[in-house]
Amino acid sequence: MILLAALLAVQDTSRIVEAQSVLAALVESYGVSGMEAPVRATVQRLLPSWAKTETDTAGNLWVRVGQGDTPVVIVAHMDEIGFRVDTINADGTLALRNRGGFILSLFEGKPALIHTDGRDIPGIFLPRDSGFTRRLPPPLRVSVGATSRAGAESLGVKVGQTITMPKQYVRLAGTRATGRSFDDRMGCAALILALRRLDRAKLKHAVVFVFSTREEIGLEGAGAVAHRLGTGTRRVHAIDTFVSADSPLELQNFAVAPLGQGAVARALDNSSITPPAYVDSLAQLARARSIALQIGTTNGGNDGSMFVPYGVVDVPMGWPLRYSHSPAEVVDLKDLVSLADLVRAVAEDW
Amino acid sequence: MKVLLLVLALQSPDSLSVRFAGMTAITGYEQAMGDSLLALLPGATRDRLGNVTLSLGRGAPKRLVYCGLDEIGYVVGNITDDGYLTLRRVGGGARLSPLFDQQIEGQRVTLFGTRGPVPGVVAVRSTHLTRGRPQPGEAPFTVDNAYVDVGAGSRDDALALGLSLLTPVSLSKRPHRYGDRLLAAPSAGRRAACAALAAAALKKPPVRGTVVVAFTVQSLYADTAGLKTVVNSQGPFAETRGVNVPSKYPDTTVETVSLRDVDALAADLVKWIGGGR
Repeated sequence: MILLAALLAVQDTSRIVEAQSVLAALVESYGVSGMEAPVRATVQRLLPSWAKTETDTAGNLWVRVGQGDTPVVIVAHMDEIGFRVDTINADGTLALRNRGGFILSLFEGKPALIHTDGRDIPGIFLPRDSGFTRRLPPPLRVSVGATSRAGAESLGVKVGQTITMPKQYVRLAGTRATGRSFDDRMGCAALILALRRLDRAKLKHAVVFVFSTREEIGLEGAGAVAHRLGTGTRRVHAIDTFVSADSPLELQNFAVAPLGQGAVARALDNSSITPPAYVDSLAQLARARSIALQIGTTNGGNDGSMFVPYGVVDVPMGWPLRYSHSPAEVVDLKDLVSLADLVRAVAEDW
Repeated sequence: MKVLLLVLALQSPDSLSVRFAGMTAITGYEQAMGDSLLALLPGATRDRLGNVTLSLGRGAPKRLVYCGLDEIGYVVGNITDDGYLTLRRVGGGARLSPLFDQQIEGQRVTLFGTRGPVPGVVAVRSTHLTRGRPQPGEAPFTVDNAYVDVGAGSRDDALALGLSLLTPVSLSKRPHRYGDRLLAAPSAGRRAACAALAAAALKKPPVRGTVVVAFTVQSLYADTAGLKTVVNSQGPFAETRGVNVPSKYPDTTVETVSLRDVDALAADLVKWIGGGR
């Protein structure tokens, strides 16, 4: 394994090495919707030293650059799917509430972590005890090994804490990688990488980079930003997953953006439609900068759509992702480099 | 002194349980775990099938104590033109839970190729593209729908990673401790039993007569061919004891054992080897 990793590292360009170091740190931070503090801390640690940050009352992290009153907003979300402790049952097991949408069976019978302000508490997602001929399990429960409510509480478990599965960034062959919560740590990484290379002297207007909260449970953090900036926003770019059908299990009638072929303009999804002229402008910008760009349509909503009711055009951009919202999402690091370059280009030249 | 304490700690039932639970030994493909056992147990030998045995003491009576070290798993069954690997399950049979294969869907796996372990994932439909699937009554995922993605773009890419037909594949193992000395891992009960047996043998207890300590292969396949080989090649035995640790949630990724039970089993085995009950 070590030898293979070493061989892969030798093949990497410096851009890939940097992209991986930023992405891995973000992916290995935990932040279920509403509990994004660990991710926010990681973002702050990875930003360039000149970046001044502000955290608003919704928990969104802002980085303002350039001058002017009508900023372009570039937003990526910090939160990830998971669970919340809803009830501590009399038998010591924990009843859960989903945070975001996903296939429940992927968590059934797997290790669990209950996130606290301090040390995580280990447990397991209990396997079902009936219904063995159905794919989907009944609502999941977690055991921390306690046999009573008091026993669970004595371990530090409280209602409202969040729960996920342990996760790890793992490099695959070539420039591919796997882990959980690439959605939307890839977006966060793209913003950080763009800020690191940003030529602030070139900016023709203000740009607000936002690392948002609670996207997975209804775009709530972005909603607060949109409410604050309102019609005074020049344009918005949600930087989020392009869920790709580049997989042997998916229908091929849309969303077919192959991994490794660059960033993707998410021109039509379930929450917003980018006016065709803006898609064309983005494609021109990418061509002028020699940035790989694909154009496509996929499913899902995006943070930028919260600005549309204020008359703001949303031009979301992403990268192709396989196996979305699973513990084994797969990305290509080349697409992250491409996306970071595109974010930078949008900030500097558009 | 510190080194001695460290060695003793590493040979404790707790430590060995975690180590063994992190190993992969798919039925018929137990070579790597056999290597580890040979390194751990001075004087141990391996037969042609792969059983690892250690003979303690001498003379009569001759007794056998054994654990099955193998697990149900997968091997590569085919490689597609675009670099995905499809699987064949090894072991299990009719008694297997209908949910067994579903445990690998959308999870990270390790492929034990000729150039070393290769990480991969088992493909799953993207939540955003499911369009109403899976339906509430939908049947469980099976190995017939398993596509392993290692990041390869072609069959040649996969071959270059040291992967080929029959490469063993298992869930990536991450033994997980929780609660009051509980250990969760695939096949935790079987591995904890082998850990207790190894810990007992490493204590070099006094032995009544001869005791053959055996870590048997293919206990889940071909009518326990491994155990029968030990009996036929090293027997007859006056007494035979298979060792087990009780487990909860058997045959799941979070099969759970209590490390207290492992301690108790190891202590009991020391007594048994010495001739006590």
